[in-house]
Amino acid sequence: MKKLNRRNFMKYAAGSGCALAAGLSGSQSAFAGSIRLQAGGRDFSPTTNKELQAIPTACWQCVTRDAMIGYVEDGRLVKLEGHPDSIRTLGKLCAKGQAGVNQVYFPDRILYPMLRVGKRGEHKWKRISWDEALDLFASKLKPLLDAGTPELLMYQYGRHKGSQSSIMHDFMDAFGSQTIGTHTSVCEGPKWVGQESLWGGMYDNWDYDHTDFVVNFGSNQFETHTNHIPTSQRLIRAMVDRNVPLYTFDVRLSNTAAKSTEWIPIKVGMDGLVMLAMVNVIMKEGLFRKNHLKYMRVSPDYHASDNDKIAAIKKHVAKFTPEFAEKESGVPADKIRQIARGYAKAKSACLISYRGTVMHYHGADQERAAMLLSAITNNLDRKGGRVMGVGAGWKHPHSPKAKRQKGLDIVNGFPGEAAFPTHQCSQQNLPMIKDGQNGRPKVYWSSCNNQAFINGNNKEAEAILKDENLIPFSVSTNIVYDETSQYADLILPDVTYLERWDYEDMVSPTGVAEYYIRQPLIKPLGEAWDQGEVFAGLAKRLGIDLAYSTKEEYVRQSCEMTPGVREAGGFKYMKKHGVWHDKNAKPNFGFYEETVDVSGDGIILDEKTGVYWNYKKAGVSEAEAKSKGYLGVEGAKNAYVAQDIQGTPRKAYPPNTSFTKSGLLDFYSDNFAAKGFPAFPTYTPIPEHQKMGKNDLHLTTYKVAVHTHSRTAHCKWLSEIKHDNPAWINSKTAAERGIKEGDRIKVSNDLGEITTTAHVTEGIIPGIVAISHHLGRQHSGIYGSGKKSPTPGGAEADPDAKNIWWDKHGAHPNSIIPNSSDPISGGQRWMDTVVRVAKA
Amino acid sequence: MSDKKTPEISRRNFLSGVGTAVVGAAAVATPTVKLEAAQAKAPRWAMVMDLRRCIGCRACTVACKSENHVSLGRFRAVIQEKTMGTFPNTKKAFLPLMCNHCEGNKKDGVPPCVKACPEFPGERAKFKTADGKTIRYRSGATYKRPDGMILIDKEKCIGCGKCIDACPYGVRSFDPFVKAGGDPTKQAADKCDMCAHRVDNGVEPSCVNTCQGRARIFGDLNDPGSEVSKLVKEHNLAKDANVLLAQEGTNPHVFYIDPDNLLKTLYTQRKKGKLDHFVDQIT
Amino acid sequence: MGTDWKTLADGAKTRSEFYGLLATVFREEPSEALIHELRGPRLAGTFSGMEVELGESFYNDPEAEVRASLVLEFTRLFIGPGSHISAHESVFAEVDGGLGGLWGAKTVEVKKFIEAAGLEYEQRFTGLPDHVSVELEFMQKLTGWEADQWSRQDRTSAEYCQSVQRMFLERHLLCWVSQFCDAVMAQADIPFYRAMAELTKNYLAFERQSIAPDDAA
Repeated sequence: MKKLNRRNFMKYAAGSGCALAAGLSGSQSAFAGSIRLQAGGRDFSPTTNKELQAIPTACWQCVTRDAMIGYVEDGRLVKLEGHPDSIRTLGKLCAKGQAGVNQVYFPDRILYPMLRVGKRGEHKWKRISWDEALDLFASKLKPLLDAGTPELLMYQYGRHKGSQSSIMHDFMDAFGSQTIGTHTSVCEGPKWVGQESLWGGMYDNWDYDHTDFVVNFGSNQFETHTNHIPTSQRLIRAMVDRNVPLYTFDVRLSNTAAKSTEWIPIKVGMDGLVMLAMVNVIMKEGLFRKNHLKYMRVSPDYHASDNDKIAAIKKHVAKFTPEFAEKESGVPADKIRQIARGYAKAKSACLISYRGTVMHYHGADQERAAMLLSAITNNLDRKGGRVMGVGAGWKHPHSPKAKRQKGLDIVNGFPGEAAFPTHQCSQQNLPMIKDGQNGRPKVYWSSCNNQAFINGNNKEAEAILKDENLIPFSVSTNIVYDETSQYADLILPDVTYLERWDYEDMVSPTGVAEYYIRQPLIKPLGEAWDQGEVFAGLAKRLGIDLAYSTKEEYVRQSCEMTPGVREAGGFKYMKKHGVWHDKNAKPNFGFYEETVDVSGDGIILDEKTGVYWNYKKAGVSEAEAKSKGYLGVEGAKNAYVAQDIQGTPRKAYPPNTSFTKSGLLDFYSDNFAAKGFPAFPTYTPIPEHQKMGKNDLHLTTYKVAVHTHSRTAHCKWLSEIKHDNPAWINSKTAAERGIKEGDRIKVSNDLGEITTTAHVTEGIIPGIVAISHHLGRQHSGIYGSGKKSPTPGGAEADPDAKNIWWDKHGAHPNSIIPNSSDPISGGQRWMDTVVRVAKA
Repeated sequence: MSDKKTPEISRRNFLSGVGTAVVGAAAVATPTVKLEAAQAKAPRWAMVMDLRRCIGCRACTVACKSENHVSLGRFRAVIQEKTMGTFPNTKKAFLPLMCNHCEGNKKDGVPPCVKACPEFPGERAKFKTADGKTIRYRSGATYKRPDGMILIDKEKCIGCGKCIDACPYGVRSFDPFVKAGGDPTKQAADKCDMCAHRVDNGVEPSCVNTCQGRARIFGDLNDPGSEVSKLVKEHNLAKDANVLLAQEGTNPHVFYIDPDNLLKTLYTQRKKGKLDHFVDQIT
Repeated sequence: MGTDWKTLADGAKTRSEFYGLLATVFREEPSEALIHELRGPRLAGTFSGMEVELGESFYNDPEAEVRASLVLEFTRLFIGPGSHISAHESVFAEVDGGLGGLWGAKTVEVKKFIEAAGLEYEQRFTGLPDHVSVELEFMQKLTGWEADQWSRQDRTSAEYCQSVQRMFLERHLLCWVSQFCDAVMAQADIPFYRAMAELTKNYLAFERQSIAPDDAA
């Protein structure tokens, strides 16, 4: 074009209709008011003092959700720090938490509702208004209501906690769909199922502040635990301040193993066996404590004496000698004895277990072995032991529920796949949609979730999400373009957690609950909306009544109706202080000892089980109650009152999940036996591992301190520290294959092949490769994937993007890990995969 | 430097815009640990790194990035980690590194970076103590403040890089975002400043604030009652074995509680002309 | 010779209108009415005079079709999802590393500058304060105000306004918009936004000349 100068500019532009055109924008001016300049040539000074604010809020980078303080300077979030008044975190915040700032301001963030205009996966999009987006979404939902098929709306979420969870359930209840997919089964579901079969509830923590001895199986406490900051700082303090020993069994020298008194390398899937060998030693050498026996059931007999129980436990574990365990697990028998003795003799001790232990075939049973080891040494929910985490009990508003509540049976695995999927079998949600036998949702809404990245066989997940015949209408609520949202029909721009309201409830390891809230540190960027507002917008269009109109309103009401918080000053107090706990509360360790008044109307003692229950609450007659008994009446578990413990009615361990059980710790489980699983914790070899060829290796995955599974790759400060995930391989195993440090290698099996880099190390057992699972992203912004597609020329303009110094972005192992479930719990068997490894 | 007091800048003044430094969170932060230096003399800020407590979590690395807007490609705080031994007797350990805020050699009390700075010694600058006394000291683009902090004046910096070469620890680098005030064709040098903007406001450094293991302990060595003084005494840290590269004669003021002798076995010293050992990267 | 107030006022007014046009183009996806006007005889003359090539199909295809393709192009270029050209000063301008990205240090500066000039951001405006269209619109407002001062024969105020414009251009628009335009020109699939980016770049180069203090002499 022509170079402009004053003369030609005026010639072409003056009176040309620019003014008219300028008025034809669809929206209005960005400005209100009018120019007010002080005439007279005075200096124009646009700079004023910085406005600084410190706002209490809560983290959400990972599920630990630490209370924290956000520092905001002139409307920009500049820093996040731990909340000094938090009894959980004691003012600390981890690397991920501090990088939360990156979540808000990364240049690839999605800020407007987007409508797909090309084919799925073609990356062609059109920005639309929220009104258009909600109208369209509602137009897909209305026919479901009209046809009486609300269950054809599926809500698939990854992490919804606190009010984010309750408000979602409130909407889904109001809509009438119970087709809700979670993600716990790919996380640690088997652990919870194992615990629920015993003490009814779940979420164990550890009282490191008072413990004397810690044994850790397969948990990376110092890097990644789901209650990381509250627990790991207490553990390292206990170790240094009070010389508490920590023994870590792991296939890999994690940071936790590294900081342990001793790292004990163990073969894949052998944690439960070594625990049982420890039980063997403790029972045989008489190191057990009788205290907890009265709460334990170890044989079909509900009324066995202590001596009978001791004999029964001894008998169960007799074959699991340290020598047998050594043969299978590679852990020296003497080491097992030494640790078993130390653990049993310690005044108090913690037994930790996590994904390394439970994400296996019969993983739930391995967790039961961990509980057994805790119970026989009287370390369950006692000072210094494995304790029940205590979370806040928020009350919240409820909207009227739809009369019709239905759900597609597609979240609990294929028929016969899992016996007790109390935390679902979400890795099979998409495969079940493909299968279609149990129906398919017409509207698939995923939020805070990346199904095409987080599950096994994620290439199949991608193909399913891409197929409009399988998923006719797909909505993704997201802040970043990722493996899943690329196949959506509608993308709704989510707020980050730093721009939203929530009440929060993550557990405290101290036995005292902490109530805390999340509040927006800044106004949401662009047109990002909280899901609460989306629910309200849809409800309005669908003629559904909700008990709130905004998320803030929902959280305000929750603060005003929750006992304790209300008296402290409710919403106003929480906005100002962020955290609240009952200053007079004492840790409730030993909750099971509480004596219970059983004189109430309808309460009877079930002779067989020793359970006091309220037949009236269970909705049966006294005669029926007595003839059928507690175990024979459906729903009787909800009428549980107490357990007869040596003549005293005590709270014991009430059932509170789908397991019908007495108030005893069901180490002998009729539930398990009835489904053909071991009634008592045992060792079950992993089928795939029995068939391994000479050249086969195990594949395990793990997390590091600076990333979550799928939602931090775009955080530049984290990806700068961890942007590549080479495969760890023992020097001996590597040498057998001619592999050297830094070599490109192929890791393959029947499912496929990935190419990655070898990290040859002494910090892993032979016969295995371990690959962390955060990286190898398709999209996730320039910092996450390095990719500038689909539109080049953008985020690399970001000033810091010019400083990206790494060119590796990792390889994702999930594409060669099949979706395969623990038949007990439905948990994804991440750690059972068998692969071959060769130089690329 | 005998009877000087700690500066005590009131938060209100700071908030009203008196301060010109990067303010960050410090001005409104609620200090979890209130820094109180000895009143009788000037503080001598120092750090104790308790290696028993460092779990290699990198919270300090990121806290520093966030607090000081450190660009990608450079770090003011890093963790070195190393796997040692042969399976199954394998160990891995962590070593947090930062600027050592050296006192300088016994003879002249000037650290090598300051000595290398062409802008040092510059005009005399004033340092106000808590009780209002004034200590005069020599300014420079890199200079030592009377409270022991080694700081960079980016306005004075000419971007020559001599301090970067002079530092035996390799903690210095060019800031791609800040031009050298003394020569705007070049970039200014940058490194850990012990979060002077926070410390001057009575708030502990960002890395200390976030350290969950409490492996980083910051305070005034001139105050015998401070935790750092007590730790230095209790663990006998004021000796060569407990600082990095004592042989350089730099007299570092970052002291390590190091029962496993990691300073000798783990520490990767910079190679001449290279700074890549000061990049925090997890394999 | 007395001052030609009208010429001065018209000059400022024309600049204001031109800024307004560019602001509208980059604010959001075009409406059909805008396309209609851009193709109309008066602006078509302007564009052809300046040799701005908007492409044949822009002039010949039905307005609805033109709009549909421009909407896609606008979204792909400036909105995402995924990587796109983030049309914000704080993404392009060189600043302290931790303060770039969306809503960076520059965003705050722009916002404060604009507010110091008496304007507020409209509540309903959901863009960021340093979006390219906002900065262009701000210049539209300033130059419009300048035109009013010339019309009122208030040289002092008009020249003061010019100094504020100069400050805003130098501190903000001129620091980054040319790079932004280069990115658009490199990435555009159809001629419209490439041409508009070139026009913007060209116009700002002209502005740089015309507001230089010595230019007035």
